[in-house]
Amino acid sequence: MTHPSSALDDTIHQRVRLGILAVLSESRRADFGYLKEILEVTAGNLSQHLAILEEAGHIQIAKGIEDRRSRTWITVTRKGRAALAAEVATMKALLEGIGAAQRA
Amino acid sequence: MNADEARESLAFSEYARKRAREDMGRPWLALVLLATLSVASLSLTGAATSPTALFWVFVGPVGAGTIALYAYRRSRSSGLESSPLPYLAVTVGILILTYAAGKFGFAFGIPAVARFGPAFVAAAGYFALAWIERSWMVAAISFALLAVTVAIIGFDLSSQQSKALLFGLYGITLVAVGLSMRAGRRQLL
Repeated sequence: MTHPSSALDDTIHQRVRLGILAVLSESRRADFGYLKEILEVTAGNLSQHLAILEEAGHIQIAKGIEDRRSRTWITVTRKGRAALAAEVATMKALLEGIGAAQRA
Repeated sequence: MNADEARESLAFSEYARKRAREDMGRPWLALVLLATLSVASLSLTGAATSPTALFWVFVGPVGAGTIALYAYRRSRSSGLESSPLPYLAVTVGILILTYAAGKFGFAFGIPAVARFGPAFVAAAGYFALAWIERSWMVAAISFALLAVTVAIIGFDLSSQQSKALLFGLYGITLVAVGLSMRAGRRQLL
């Protein structure tokens, strides 16, 4: 029998990475600046988290020039959406389990 | 990961999700409200056959078109792109149902349904939208439209009084939507 926490995905259960996927799952795509502002992280920190998510295939990053300024758009992949849903469900189940154990 | 960390991560992702939804939906909500309110107003004032119908028929869509353009531009510049399709579907759904309610009233010879049915349908549509979007603003506009409709029926108001009430409702809706979008813009800037 394995512990329920073993179902957690190491690449996304970190707070900022969970936040990135949560924002992207609500939208068609978000740009780097928006994510940086809403998640209240530095550009370097956000870049690191995005690189981890991209390497795991949870997001896609597209860079381009729009209105003479560079923009980086990030999109969540189908795999990323599924991973987010599974992660949230696992975390909720774990918390319910802990709550039930504390009440017993 | 301990329980506190898990709780904190979940709460943070929920905050981020909610904030993104608010940032994306606000302008499109305005579009749904103004476009469909115009149609409900037509039946409530009985203006469909009078020259004043021109106001509701033209100003409503022009306002809705302006908001759609604004919403598209803001979506591009804010850095968060959303699909307008769900909001477009809701708008079309409410418009078809309000039109059907009016037609139903005429077809079965029930003038009250033909006149007030569309407004009730629009109010119910807003309420459903408010539930989906978890928006108190839309819920309040839904109740305001319901209250205006009931007042027109209950107090047997004249066409002039009905129009005055509806202008008031338009004003309240515009102010609520404007303030809401202003608040959203401040968050983004």
